[in-house]
Amino acid sequence: MRGNKAVVGVYTYMDDLLNTVAKMKDKGMDYVVYSPMARHEIESATMPEKSNVRRFTLVGGIVGCISGWSLAILCSLDWPMRTGAKDIVSLPAFFVIGYELTILFAALATFLGILHFCKLPDLFRKVGFDPRFTDDKFGLVVGADDNEVDGVKKTLLDSGADEVTVKDGM
Amino acid sequence: MGNVQSHSDKPHSEKEISYARVTELVLNMLKPPGAGWYALFFTCMSAFLWGAVSWTIQILDGLIVSGLSHPIGWGVYITNFVFWVGIAHSGTLISAVLFLFRAKFRMPIYRLSEAMTVFAVLTAGLFPLIHVGRPWFAYWLLPYPNERALWPNFRSPLLWDVFAVSTYLTVSTTFFIVGLIPDIAVARDKAKTKFRKMLYSLTALGWTGSNSQWKHYMSAYLFFAALATPLVVSVHSVVSWDFAVALVPGWHATIFPPYFVAGAIFSGVGMVLTLIIPLRKVFHLEELITPFHFDGMVKLILLTSGIVSYAYITEFYVAWFSNNMFERFQFWFRPFGDFKLAFWGMTMCNCIIPLTLWVPSLRRNITYLFIVSLLINVGMWLERFNIIFTSLAREFIPAAWGGYNFSWVEVGITVGAFGWFGMYMCLFIKFFPAVSIVEIKELITPPVRKKS
Repeated sequence: MRGNKAVVGVYTYMDDLLNTVAKMKDKGMDYVVYSPMARHEIESATMPEKSNVRRFTLVGGIVGCISGWSLAILCSLDWPMRTGAKDIVSLPAFFVIGYELTILFAALATFLGILHFCKLPDLFRKVGFDPRFTDDKFGLVVGADDNEVDGVKKTLLDSGADEVTVKDGM
Repeated sequence: MGNVQSHSDKPHSEKEISYARVTELVLNMLKPPGAGWYALFFTCMSAFLWGAVSWTIQILDGLIVSGLSHPIGWGVYITNFVFWVGIAHSGTLISAVLFLFRAKFRMPIYRLSEAMTVFAVLTAGLFPLIHVGRPWFAYWLLPYPNERALWPNFRSPLLWDVFAVSTYLTVSTTFFIVGLIPDIAVARDKAKTKFRKMLYSLTALGWTGSNSQWKHYMSAYLFFAALATPLVVSVHSVVSWDFAVALVPGWHATIFPPYFVAGAIFSGVGMVLTLIIPLRKVFHLEELITPFHFDGMVKLILLTSGIVSYAYITEFYVAWFSNNMFERFQFWFRPFGDFKLAFWGMTMCNCIIPLTLWVPSLRRNITYLFIVSLLINVGMWLERFNIIFTSLAREFIPAAWGGYNFSWVEVGITVGAFGWFGMYMCLFIKFFPAVSIVEIKELITPPVRKKS
């Protein structure tokens, strides 16, 4: 985020938060919204585009599918022992292996995706984060330069923030 | 516990509760344990110890100390394996499948159900190792390059099981961990001791709940739910094929996959109730887990009990209709042979007793519901016992018939498995939020200044 100061607003009411977010967007400010749970209203207001985690899932699934089928087929061809009068490459039987590895690799790739896009693990506390934001308060942290701080602070207070503080560093 | 005077068709109490109250109620469970928790944990550890000693005896003396022999070569251990894998499925149904259906009744119970899934699969995974007798050779099941140029048989359902159950354990654990992250962050921000602050800071991975994080998290969560859903159907179908692809009378039936999957969900919902009812009472979670949620669980029980009952009838009918003398005899032997007590116990617990839940006053009585859940657990263990023992005891020709000598080693290992599971559940409910704080908050109408 741009700016060398973080203006932190703590909100009880979600509509106040959303109104302030709209104002910050109009002004072209960089901001982060914190909430105790996911809300589609906040998502629509801040990041309406689709998440790219789905690409990780797709790639993982494709890799898993190819891996599962390859494992079963190549191992069977390497040691071509006929069991139960079935073909060496028994596609109906190998379906289970391919299916399970598709799901396994897709899930693991999704997990990697979530770590990547959520920037986890990140054990250094973010500037402006307040422990109340995981409990019962909403938070809006706006990155501002020194000359913008007062204007942003006034906007947040006028929009219904319970308290507004300014912290150094972004 | 007792009669619940009112019921609702919506989780109305969530609309009256505040975010802070939800946090307070759930984190209250993480307070230092009292004498009751220590007594329960000690009991579980004692049971686990009995199981560990029994397994040690079996490793030292060999499978001769178990009851496994000709013709019943799959006995108590495989019964336990199928039982525990089945228990696990309900947790994934509640957390993943019901998430996709947006079923509101899942919210306060899904975390404990998902924990039950992970610990049940961990328990189930012990039994193939116990059953093979020489667990140090269990790696032979895996496809690794070796100097004998051997590969496992990918056409065997026993190997499909390795892939299915391992995938299920990995995916369930990952889904569980992902679901826990935001709740651990809540616990981190309210932690009072240094140890808990450190534990939750590490395990929350630095989660802050920013708009960006929630966006990617909810997208990933949806994909996890969508990936876990086919596992609910597939994994226990694969387990059922351990039996159904064999030619053994009573096993070789196409009804097995849906029969096992429905039975798995049935047994798992029973176990969820067995866990959630005492938890709700001890930790005073009545505001979060209401009659509405129990109604949802009872509907699942009635549905799956119905499917299981239908499967039993199908087995008998198809055995008769087939005019196959071995199949017909098998289904005479089950209700009237050496193991008839197990058959009738199974029928009572799985088919008859759940029918009483159609009576409103009974299904709203939490004590009665708890007793029924215990009987469901017993009935489903007896079902797996019934399938395995009766079919193996009376295969095709009388020369292949036989009985089973139960041993104390098997009893010890069975009890030890319950202790192992109980140990994990005790530790989980004391160290991590056993009810999903975040998802219950999603149900609550957010506070707005302008009510219009």
